[in-house]
Amino acid sequence: MELLHSLGIELVNGLMSTLMVVVNLLPDTLSDAFQYRFMQRALLTSVLVGAICGLLSCYVVLKRWSLLGDAISHAVLPGVAIAYLLGWPFFIGAFITGALTSVGIGAIERHTRIKSDAAMGLMFTGAFALGIVIISKIASSTHLMHILFGNVLGVRESALVLTLVASVIALLVVWLCFRPLLLYAFDPQQAQALGFNTSVIHYGLILLLTLTIVASLETVGIILVVAMLITPGATAHLLTDRFRTMMLISVSVGVSSAVIGLWLSAALDVASGGTIVLVATGWFFMALVFSPKHGVLARQWRRWRMG
Amino acid sequence: MAINSDGPTAAVEVHGLYAAYQRQPVLENIDLVFPTGQWTAIVGPNGAGKSTLFHVLTGSMKPLRGSVHAFGHPIAEHRRAGHIAYMAQREAIEWDFPVSVWETVMGGRFGHMRQDAWWRRCLPARWYHPRHRDAVRQALEAVDMLAYSNRPIGALSGGQKKRVLLARALAQQARILLLDEPLAGVDPPSEKLILDVLRRERQAGHTVIMVTHDMPSARRYVDHVVLINRIIRGEGRPDDMLSDAKLAALAVSAIDTSAGDVGSVSGSITTTTS
Repeated sequence: MELLHSLGIELVNGLMSTLMVVVNLLPDTLSDAFQYRFMQRALLTSVLVGAICGLLSCYVVLKRWSLLGDAISHAVLPGVAIAYLLGWPFFIGAFITGALTSVGIGAIERHTRIKSDAAMGLMFTGAFALGIVIISKIASSTHLMHILFGNVLGVRESALVLTLVASVIALLVVWLCFRPLLLYAFDPQQAQALGFNTSVIHYGLILLLTLTIVASLETVGIILVVAMLITPGATAHLLTDRFRTMMLISVSVGVSSAVIGLWLSAALDVASGGTIVLVATGWFFMALVFSPKHGVLARQWRRWRMG
Repeated sequence: MAINSDGPTAAVEVHGLYAAYQRQPVLENIDLVFPTGQWTAIVGPNGAGKSTLFHVLTGSMKPLRGSVHAFGHPIAEHRRAGHIAYMAQREAIEWDFPVSVWETVMGGRFGHMRQDAWWRRCLPARWYHPRHRDAVRQALEAVDMLAYSNRPIGALSGGQKKRVLLARALAQQARILLLDEPLAGVDPPSEKLILDVLRRERQAGHTVIMVTHDMPSARRYVDHVVLINRIIRGEGRPDDMLSDAKLAALAVSAIDTSAGDVGSVSGSITTTTS
């Protein structure tokens, strides 16, 4: 465990140095902000979070799981609170309540007459309320604010290692299970007919989503993480008709929003999580207007030419 | 109800099958035998449980009771071996999904890729085993869609979409083909093409089971007809089963079980899709 941790720290240091080589190529006005250690940590975390959120975002958008992403992210809160209470690492608690809630939603949906949107709405608000109540008893309101809205400038080394591990896991799973995941997202019944275990794929994808949300907690916070799970994928969906290209664009949107947002928040001295999400939203509206095929302008142009 | 006793040669055997959606019975006491190499049409009004039967056969729905075997073994084993191809209804697919025609049809090969070397499974499409690419090309040629390989699936017409879904089932080179309304909403040339493809599949010794509302085509092409409406209402040769009297009885019996839906029930049976 000790060894693993020091290995993780070493890896983080290595990545950070590599990142700084790139940053130092930029003009001084841009790179100046990143001379501090905490800014470098924030930068690396943001890049990783932008990348995995962008990756998972494709599945969230194509499977219409936006509300589910929202639900899991809120349901993480009581886990964080309970872990804090018991002195566990917070991500373990977050992971457990996030996963429990998604299983609970599935069970209500399948075994009662309640429809899925109501099932999600009542489960995640319930879990969120529980989290608020516990936290109000045990921690300060600044602590709560950091969990809700992120505090990327205060990211600790251990949280950065967690984000790194989560990114590696997400990347490996998406890479190695690319075809089952693609088939499941596109046509679950076909996947079932080909003998794939769709419930394993379903819950695997939900666990991956939970992992991503937990890893993004300190960067954008649990309220705004869902934006990073929807906006990059939605932007990419407007720009391409190929799944692989969509993933590439989505990851680029995630990473660039995280980096630009972080820099802007430092330069303007505003909340980092909100700024990152605003940049991503900006990308989305640019794609909405200027996309060569599915954009508003292109559509108007085609209509005008048709007469 | 008489059951053909074809013994172990039967491609699909369903015994004592019950299925329900939230305690509402959809299929009751279904016993069916589909002999190898037979082309069967399943006919019944909307809500008669035809698609549910396919959901059970493809494994996406668990029956309350009963067993389903293929070639004498539990059907799940054959699913994993890629022996069972399924063609969904057009409405079951997200046509906005960012994949091309080629990639969609390649989806029919994903089951067979389990047999490939581990390193191929880690690599993108360019390094797929050549046999997968051959199968996809043949399937697209069979439905006359090879020229559209690189089109996004959302840009296709209704008949072309049906042909792509059929090509995906063909690419699987399966021994059993399950087709959910392959002729619905298809223009006459596409319809002719699809029926000819299915006839060739049957001639190759494959078992074809399709749900259809297209009575003229069923009369002309299939070997066997199963009338279904929650229970089996009859089965036999197309000429005997698809008589006006039998079809009318089937539509009337539908009204007994699902009151209030009279218009669409009788309409769906007596009018053929254009």
